[in-house]
Parts: sequence; structure tokens; C-alpha cells
Amino acid sequence: MTAQAPGNMDPGAPDAHRWWSPFLVSGEVAVTHVDLAPHPTREVVAQSWLDEVELARWGNYASEPRRRFVLCRAALRSLLCEELGCPNAQLGFQESEYGKPFALVAGQPAPISFNVSHSGSHGLIACAPHGRLGIDVEEIAPRPHLASLIEAVMAPGEQAELGLLSGDAQLCQFFRLWTCKEALIKALGTGFSTDISKLYVPAGLRLGERTGVFRFEHLPAVSWLLEDISGEGFAAALARELPER
Amino acid sequence: MATTEERIRKLVDDNLEIEGREAGTPLHTDYSLRDSGISSVDFVAFAKLVADEFGVSFSPDDCANYNTVGELVSRLDS
Repeated sequence: MTAQAPGNMDPGAPDAHRWWSPFLVSGEVAVTHVDLAPHPTREVVAQSWLDEVELARWGNYASEPRRRFVLCRAALRSLLCEELGCPNAQLGFQESEYGKPFALVAGQPAPISFNVSHSGSHGLIACAPHGRLGIDVEEIAPRPHLASLIEAVMAPGEQAELGLLSGDAQLCQFFRLWTCKEALIKALGTGFSTDISKLYVPAGLRLGERTGVFRFEHLPAVSWLLEDISGEGFAAALARELPER
Repeated sequence: MATTEERIRKLVDDNLEIEGREAGTPLHTDYSLRDSGISSVDFVAFAKLVADEFGVSFSPDDCANYNTVGELVSRLDS
């Protein structure tokens, strides 16, 4: 079977090469899960959908990040082409000053907001018609230097709370908090110029709730809805800007 | 006294698991941490370790701005 380039797919047709599927919908945000497990056929198909800039980037990666990049970027292309109603050849990407990508159609900024994250065999793509959003996923796997990671990226109170946990419980909670922080940073779109170890994940989320509202200290007028969207084997979080009241 | 490259290599070997890299082997000056596949959490933690090791203000964004180990070493030696 030959896969069609994104933008030319028949959404109703069964497609053995479709390696992404709906994950959840939150407000106007649709989140798609991308299967990033090794799959040579999919990788060849995905590669054929990338443009020259993406292929150059692909070529610079080591083998695992290369696979994750190509499968995720091709899935993103397909989703955006469907949403924007454009052919794949017209879709391009640019990055903001802080490295946050945005879509172009025929060279013009496209009216769509998206964010992508991948880890291990899981990719997540968040897509919405407008508004700032950020998503992060981390495959939960043992870390040899977890204590130093906790010290490096968690706020003092979070470090104390994590210190009360051990083993898998500590590992899972670490990744829950980390993905929340990174989703917020990605939604804000200023990269890691913000010191992540000074951000406190909302208390309710730290205690196990699935949603919370966050405000950056330097941006108190803007509220962000933060959601724990973790799944089997991975921690994940979605952050989106709430409309002003 | 260890060179900057040796200190960076030790930080990498002691703290990062990089696909295809054996601890103790030289870090080529054109080696890119950004393209190596390390996770964002490791990247942020590594930037903090570099800041602590060299006593400089060094954010993850700064780290991301240096594409290769050679550029990072040059920045720290300047």
C-alpha cells in the first residue's frame, strides 16, 4: 500500500500508515497521540513528506531522536494540512525568537496554534484554532541521577514534598511536575529563559488533582489552565491560556 | 589542571546517557548536545551543572544557543 502525502489523504480511508490517533479534547484544544515505536516503513513514508529544511535537521540527529522527529513531524504535517485545508507542499514552519515553531501556508503565518512533544515511543501534538498552548510528555523510565534532577529543576517546597516519596511514586511524581512546568514554559513561548526551578506547580495538581490554574509571577494578569493528561507509561501535561475575563 | 573540554566531558559522562556514546571517549568539538536526543529535563539539569561547575550564570537557553561542544567550550573559556 502506498501512503498518500498529507493534504491528499481521504480521511475515511483505512490507512495502515497512519501512526497517530486522537488522544483527548480539552476545550478547543485537540490532542493527538503519535506512535513513535521503531517502524522502518512508516519512517520512510514520513521522511518523504518533509521539506528540505526538515530533512537537513533530520540528518543531524542521532538515530533515536531522528526517528521521533520524522514520525512526529510527518504526523503534524498531516494534521495541519487537514485543519488548514492546504497541500503538504505549501506548508512550512518557522521558529519564533525563542525557538517556538509556527506554521506557514504559502509563506504566510497560518491561523492555527500547535505544540509538539515527544519522549520514548510517545509523541503528543496539541492543536487549536488560536491561543497560546504548550504540551509536554515524558516516558516514565528510571533515572540514575534523579536526586540531582530534582534539585536542579524543582522549587524548594516541591523538593521537600518529593523527598517524602520514594521509588516509583517519587519517579512518577517527578515526571508529573516536570511535564507541568515544561508545558507552561512552552505555552509562554519564551523558552527556558524562565528559571523553571522557581515555578511552583499549583498545589492541587501536586496533591493529585488533574487540573489547576497557574499564573507566572511576572505576568499576573494572564491565567493558564494546566491539565495532567498522563497516560499508561508516560507523564504528560497540557497548558493553555485562559481567555481574559 | 583539567581543561574546559575535560570538565565538560566529565559532566556529560557523569550525568547524561547519550545514545552511542561511551563514557571517557573524547567529545568532538562539533558534537551537538541538542541533536543527541537528550531529554529536555536532562538539558535543563545539565545547564545548571555547567553553571555550578564554572561559576557562571548560564541558563538552559544559553546552553541551547551553543550548537556544538566546541562553541560551548569557547564561551566558557572566553
